Amino acid sequence: MKGPSAWTVFWRTVIGRAYPRIIGAQREKSWVFFEIFLPLLSVTAYVFIYRAVQAPPEFIGFVVLGGAMSAYWLNVLWSMASQLYWEKETGNLELYIVAPTSRMAILLGMALGGVFQTTLRAVAIIAIGTLLFHVPMAATSVPILLGVFVTTLVALYGMGMLLSSLFLLFGREAWHFSNLLQEPVSLVSGFYFPVRALGQVVAAAASILPITLGLDAMRQLLFPAMLGDLRFLSPLVELGILSGLAVVFLFLAHRALAFFETLARREGRLSVRGQ
Amino acid sequence: MVSDSFAIRTEDLRRVFRAKRREAKGEKREVVALDGVSFSVDRGELFGVLGPNGAGKTTTIKILATLLSPTSGRAWVAGLDVTTDSKAVRHHIGMVSGGETSGYGLLTIEENLWMFSQFYGIETNVARKRIQELLAVVGLADRSRTKIYHLSTGMRQKMNFVRGFLTEPEILFLDEPTLGLDVQTAHTLRGFVSGWLAEHRDRTILLTTHAMHEADELCSRVAIIDKGRILACDAPGVLKRELQRDAIFRLRIADLGDARAAVGAQPGVSRFTQTRSDDGLNVDAILTSDGALTGVLGSVQAAGGRLLSLEKREPTLEDVFLHVVGHGFDDEAREGGSE
Amino acid sequence: MAMERRRGVTWRSFRTATWLGWQIESNWADPFVFAIYSLVKPLSGALILVFMYAVIAKDGLGSPLFPGVFVGNALFIYVPAVLAGISWTIMDDREHYGMLKYVYAAPVNVLAYLIGRGVAKALVATVAVVLTLLLGTLALGVPIRFAAIDWPLVAAALVLGSAMLALFGILLGAVTMVTARHNYGVGEAVAGGLYLLCGVVFPLDTLPPWLAAVGRALPITYWLEAFRRALLGQSAASFAGLSDVALVGIIAGSSVVLAALATVCFRLAERRARAKGLLDMQTMY
Repeated sequence: MKGPSAWTVFWRTVIGRAYPRIIGAQREKSWVFFEIFLPLLSVTAYVFIYRAVQAPPEFIGFVVLGGAMSAYWLNVLWSMASQLYWEKETGNLELYIVAPTSRMAILLGMALGGVFQTTLRAVAIIAIGTLLFHVPMAATSVPILLGVFVTTLVALYGMGMLLSSLFLLFGREAWHFSNLLQEPVSLVSGFYFPVRALGQVVAAAASILPITLGLDAMRQLLFPAMLGDLRFLSPLVELGILSGLAVVFLFLAHRALAFFETLARREGRLSVRGQ
Repeated sequence: MVSDSFAIRTEDLRRVFRAKRREAKGEKREVVALDGVSFSVDRGELFGVLGPNGAGKTTTIKILATLLSPTSGRAWVAGLDVTTDSKAVRHHIGMVSGGETSGYGLLTIEENLWMFSQFYGIETNVARKRIQELLAVVGLADRSRTKIYHLSTGMRQKMNFVRGFLTEPEILFLDEPTLGLDVQTAHTLRGFVSGWLAEHRDRTILLTTHAMHEADELCSRVAIIDKGRILACDAPGVLKRELQRDAIFRLRIADLGDARAAVGAQPGVSRFTQTRSDDGLNVDAILTSDGALTGVLGSVQAAGGRLLSLEKREPTLEDVFLHVVGHGFDDEAREGGSE
Repeated sequence: MAMERRRGVTWRSFRTATWLGWQIESNWADPFVFAIYSLVKPLSGALILVFMYAVIAKDGLGSPLFPGVFVGNALFIYVPAVLAGISWTIMDDREHYGMLKYVYAAPVNVLAYLIGRGVAKALVATVAVVLTLLLGTLALGVPIRFAAIDWPLVAAALVLGSAMLALFGILLGAVTMVTARHNYGVGEAVAGGLYLLCGVVFPLDTLPPWLAAVGRALPITYWLEAFRRALLGQSAASFAGLSDVALVGIIAGSSVVLAALATVCFRLAERRARAKGLLDMQTMY
């Protein structure tokens, strides 16, 4: 019996899993309020901290950009990695496993759906933030900026896929792990201040998180006039490292998904609910 | 790869679940869900695995569907080893479980089904056509645009059924597929299963159930499983014929609290089961010969029981179960743990 | 008699929900993870603030604004914890555990049940608040002197604040009852907005006047001010004219208004959920 090619199954799976993400959000308009408007207020709070201490306007730009990129981080953490926890609880995960498709394709579908939704939020934060607070942005090199942005997302969502693999084996423990990562990553990646402020060593260690280098490079490219001694690495070097991280995370995710699936099958935890 | 003549084959399957110390909380840490299960299913067969809750039915299906590894033993599906060739196995199988809550509530029935079809690489046009056809068969054609969080349990299960058949799997696992459904819906789905198999003679279905009549009605062969072991395996007719040398009686007795002494302990009674009803006890007894009945009736009377009715009947799968397992489905508190 | 029975139901609902909340929060997590929970998450949040000040404020952490901001941020840990702890219960019970319909089918006081489920989160948050304040005092020069703390004001703010936050949580529970599950819980999302509007990490007057007016209408703003006064002995310029008694009065008064609002909204949401069959809906996507 000749079926569709592996390639066809892969892409159909991606589209299939992205569909509920995109359509689901459109069906429940309340997400606009909860996922765009309210987070925008929380980002604005950080803007006013800088206003209160009379920081240069570029710092407000840092916050706006950090707020936009943090939307992707939260999406990776809660709608990608931890999503498998919910999928397991509702019984979808069993069906994903039984289907003759790649786990990476399912996660990629989730990621693309998530990127679509999150990009709306990120664009809203940047647009409203820039207009409201008169952020002086001046992109020096649009191609490099785009390259950094896209590579950051690929590496970030690759990392999300790696985190997802944990959920094949673990339940609530992995959920706690995600929860634990949320704020520390915001801190060490420098969502609201240049990462260099943490010192070279911490910044170097935090570079394992794609969003650290992505943010630093984008800030340098969008606010060329400032930063001075707060630059971490040059944007091109950061782009190179990000490309490496993207490859490494995707490769590790692929291996980890297979490893944890085997382990979870052995331990009988692929379909255990209420963990 | 083993011979392709079987759709499914298992060899001495054993599965032990071990709880972590802090999860066990004083209870035993090890539950043997399967204890040396061996059987084979031919292509084109509808094979039933019959047993009470906790017998090991779902564990068997999970192993065959590549969701769980056996602790020891081996299993092949479509000639492929489920442990070492799990990816390849998945191209041949489908699965539907009773009481499933899969899918996304904000999507419609049609959208959910389409999404699952994409995981199998089915072209959208083909998928949509099949979805409409299958929904019509299960009586959901007019609900295809309903979001699934609005569906009743029965409708949801019908949708799950359609999902299982939508991909036209070579081997389909149905795990308690009519669990919790009303008589009419269950009947519709059973009719659908036998119709599908008649139309697709090269396909195989493995059905687990604890509904005896379901297995009797649908299955070409059944395996009776209890406490992780297969106790009998053959065509329902053959299993029942083996009991025909025995005499099976149903007695309705009033004014008797418990029939264990009056019936169960009598000479010539090989197995018996009792259930309570409004007007007394319903007792099913398997006797080694008709002659043993006199003693049973005498002891019922001596115990103060009043015989309301007596019926000699043909053996059913329920009697077969009683005969091989030694107790009815509800006679014994089942041990906990995963099935 | 009926009154007594109602009180019994309320207490039983609260007690059982508190126990359940504690089991969910603690039982399945490794104690080590659980400890980090009340340490790493809040301290990271506080350190973001520290670095923002260190990078740009003229006097760094010596900025006169910093102590008030730090204390505000530390106490604010309670807000998402309680708001989300209570409102997320609706989502968790509805879509994860499938229990919401059974809670409604049982003789349970749902409001007491929800508050009970939030208690465990509030306890974890208390540990986090204390540790954050300790970090500020011991390592960052936040001038909290144990002997100088205005304990009666702390007690009043804690008691009234617990009630006020719980009622806020119920109000958001009402919203959760009739909305779908998104990436963000309503509790966290609203807490994000309150972080701005209540002047948690900057003086309220930094906001444009119309936004500052919204902040002044929110009881959490006054609650944070009470803690700043009690712990630091200093008050924000915006509230310099308000006496401590007036401050406590405002928190108490607004809690009463909030109680009425939360109860009415929750009953309306319940009615809508029953009418539209939302008590057991699954909205993941």
